[in-house]
Amino acid sequence: MSLKPTIGIETHIELNTNTKMFCRCAVVDTDEPNISLCPTCIGLPGALPVPNKKAIEFITLLALSTGCEITSKGMFHRKNYFYPDLPKNYQISQFDLPVGLNGELEIVIDENKDYIQIERVHMEEDTGKSSHSGSGRIESATSTALDFNRSGVPLVEIVTKPVISSSKQAVAYIEELRQLSIDLNISEGRLEKGNLRFDANISVALEDSNELGTKVEIKNMNSLRSLERAIDFEIQRQTKALEDGVEIVQETRHWDENKEVTSTMRSKEGSADYRYFSDPDLPNMFLSDEFIKEVETLMPLLPKAQREELMTTGLSLSQSNILSKSDDWIKKLYVKVFDQTKDSVASYNWITGELQGQMRKANIEVLPEWFNDDYLSEIIELIKSNKISFTSAKIILTEILTAETTPSKVAEQKNLFQENDSEKISEMINQIIKENQDIVDRIKSGEDKLVGFLVGQLMKQSNGSVNPGMAKELLLKELEG
Amino acid sequence: MDVSHLSIREINSLFTKKEIKPSELYSKVFENAANSEAALHAHLTLFEEENIKKAAEADKRFSNSESASLLDGIPIAIKDNINIKNYKTTCSSKMLSNYTSPYDATVIEKLKQQNTLFTGKTNLDEFAMGSSTENSAFGLTKNPWNTDYVPGGSSGGSAASVGARSSIAALGSDTGGSIRQPASFCGLVGFKPTYGTVSRFGLVAFASSLDQIGPITKTVDDSRIIFSSISGEDSRDATSVINNQLDIPSDNTATIGVIKELMEDGISGEAKNEVNKVIEILKSKGYKVKEISIPIIKLSISIYYLIAPAECSANLARFDGVRYGLRVDGNTSYEMMENTRAEGFGAEVKRRILLGTYALSAGYYDEYYGKALQARKEMIDEFAKTFKDVDYLISPTTPTQAFKSGEKTSNPLEMYMSDLCTIPANLAGLPAISIPTGLSKDELPLGVQIMSKPLSDNSLLDFSEIIENEVQFDGQPKGWL
Ligand SMILES: [Zn+2]
Repeated sequence: MSLKPTIGIETHIELNTNTKMFCRCAVVDTDEPNISLCPTCIGLPGALPVPNKKAIEFITLLALSTGCEITSKGMFHRKNYFYPDLPKNYQISQFDLPVGLNGELEIVIDENKDYIQIERVHMEEDTGKSSHSGSGRIESATSTALDFNRSGVPLVEIVTKPVISSSKQAVAYIEELRQLSIDLNISEGRLEKGNLRFDANISVALEDSNELGTKVEIKNMNSLRSLERAIDFEIQRQTKALEDGVEIVQETRHWDENKEVTSTMRSKEGSADYRYFSDPDLPNMFLSDEFIKEVETLMPLLPKAQREELMTTGLSLSQSNILSKSDDWIKKLYVKVFDQTKDSVASYNWITGELQGQMRKANIEVLPEWFNDDYLSEIIELIKSNKISFTSAKIILTEILTAETTPSKVAEQKNLFQENDSEKISEMINQIIKENQDIVDRIKSGEDKLVGFLVGQLMKQSNGSVNPGMAKELLLKELEG
Repeated sequence: MDVSHLSIREINSLFTKKEIKPSELYSKVFENAANSEAALHAHLTLFEEENIKKAAEADKRFSNSESASLLDGIPIAIKDNINIKNYKTTCSSKMLSNYTSPYDATVIEKLKQQNTLFTGKTNLDEFAMGSSTENSAFGLTKNPWNTDYVPGGSSGGSAASVGARSSIAALGSDTGGSIRQPASFCGLVGFKPTYGTVSRFGLVAFASSLDQIGPITKTVDDSRIIFSSISGEDSRDATSVINNQLDIPSDNTATIGVIKELMEDGISGEAKNEVNKVIEILKSKGYKVKEISIPIIKLSISIYYLIAPAECSANLARFDGVRYGLRVDGNTSYEMMENTRAEGFGAEVKRRILLGTYALSAGYYDEYYGKALQARKEMIDEFAKTFKDVDYLISPTTPTQAFKSGEKTSNPLEMYMSDLCTIPANLAGLPAISIPTGLSKDELPLGVQIMSKPLSDNSLLDFSEIIENEVQFDGQPKGWL
């Protein structure tokens, strides 16, 4: 039996506006509950919603950046359901007229591009937060504490068509969406804070079937690891069920991080009836052409275009992709260093490898203020002109990360400039040969690998200042001669 | 002279001439309340004590000739679905019997700026759902003209208060006639302004697309004064409009349309007579009067009883015992919400929530709510067309005089029919006013309704004042005064 999985993803992105979606309460990042509230966001009698223009701008930006058609006559709808942390017991959302429809997002896996079709981009308000005690579930909780700081925070929901076929693709999609929202400056994009939360709809069907299998929804994940493992688990579970002839139930499942399994949250008989209707407090919202044009002018260079630009410097697609998903200062540093050295591979490797690696090891989050962008170019140039060894370059980098100095000063002080004068090197080699006659004899009788030992001795005696390539070459010549 | 019978402008003139002090009028209205309240039950709360100081301040302003407002020192009663900061807002519901509002409605803020004196909160049909003020959880209100009869509703308490001179004027809210019908039953002027001209912020919503706050007064001029004080665009209400008034002729160059469908079956002879009486007066003054037909008006009640309950089913969802108001415990959060709503709401409110929930349900939406929206749109278009031919529309305000308490409580449909003439103005967002014109053979007041196109409120008031002067209705309820 040949089976194929189909996955669709719904992502909620918390927008980083200063104020909430329908009131002017500040959006706060705190554990102290219920400090940013007003009659509107806790649903007091008589309170009314007034839309946040910035949030609408952000959502329009996201819809435009994913190539969606913009519904200029968007309408807020009420989505009716009862839940203690939903103050009005309806959520203001969008229904049949979302801001964006039929878009597409380019993703990258290794050296390949792929395109994920977006069904819709729409806005809604967030709910409050419930903490159930006695058990994790509302049904069996002995008490429930409510925090409405999050209530009314603007969210955008992006729904893909069922076009994703693997966990790898799903992860690449979320990575791309996250970077896009950061580059658009509409979200902090911090997964650990729940800035992006995703639900995955997964089904498995026969390879040659035109119909999708019974879909199972996994709710509310906020890490790439969970997304990947939950999808893999669910595909396996459903595949096995189909192979064993067990019926798959349409249901919502929960991903258990610790046990690494999905389990039933609730079964659905069809879909819930939210009784959507146009919110009479918010008559037709009209996105004027001028507004859309104004938003277009705010469009930054998107990750896709960034990758294309980076590839023109000579980087591969995957390298460009990694850079496009790096912090802004890293992207900028690359551009600068490449401009100076014209060496894309060295620039890329030094920045994404050595520099970021050393920073991580030393727990440095931002470059020290004395760290001049030119330093990396200087280091790369010194290596290329054989003035320092690669090993020395690493030492120099460590020094300039920890103290206010420059690459050439470090090289000078630590005597790291390489000896490139062959006569001087030959002198040192002769000395080494004299001191290690027994080793030389063994090499001559066939133990080739001991050449490395002699080079090592040479490097040691010269404090690493000889060019190792030249040293080896000259040493071999000497031994043969 | 009993100053409580005078109009606002007359009272202000006496205040200004220092012939009477605001505190004296203030005492007088509370004396009237003391005489009538036990029999009428117009108020849920009376503010006598807390505003004595404010009345004294008004005295000082007038004695120093520092007052700049026509409403300074005028005692006004407020329907108990409009929030006054730090006072209870019960909506005549058990659900909110213990609820105190932490904020002022926009209209209250505006009246406070004018130094109005609030006399109390008036009784209403629970959450403004009803036409007789018999659906109050805190007891019914009686008609000051004859306590065997209802005062109308839902703003029956406001009308009874002004009728008994326990306040000089009152604010009500009108969703399907809730200002105009009780005004007519109590021999008063009731004005429902153009939808959006008066902010709904702080008015506890019944049906958001229909609700509008307005005055119940003794004279048209009093309504004009209050309307000009409480109207204006409000950034806290997304449905509020810029109050750019259209100028329509009110003199005899104006054309008056008599709505054929509101002069047919179901309208009492007495009610028709009042309309005909006014028509004759207008004709004699040279106005052009013609009969017009708006057939879709016959569907008003059907349309209204789909749209209003649908909106209310969501608007009232917030009353769940979680954050404020009544809470009836249960074993789980959901059980608590269910118990609270079962006990907190009265029968009529439950009936409408159920009706609205049904009308919005999947599979029924298109057939019911969707169709009602379509018909409402058609009605708006029909009125727009009609107003190309005529400047004002005249009809009875109510099909009959006030009915007896208990007469229609067991027959909701018959009760709903009493709003036949007033509902169209809410559906189409038109300004509409009820003017008292005469008494029935039972010595109960009757009135006529005038409507005009949206944003012609001031012209409508001017035109109504001409009728008021011609009709010379000077009836006053006997016995209390
Ligand atoms: Zn708020």
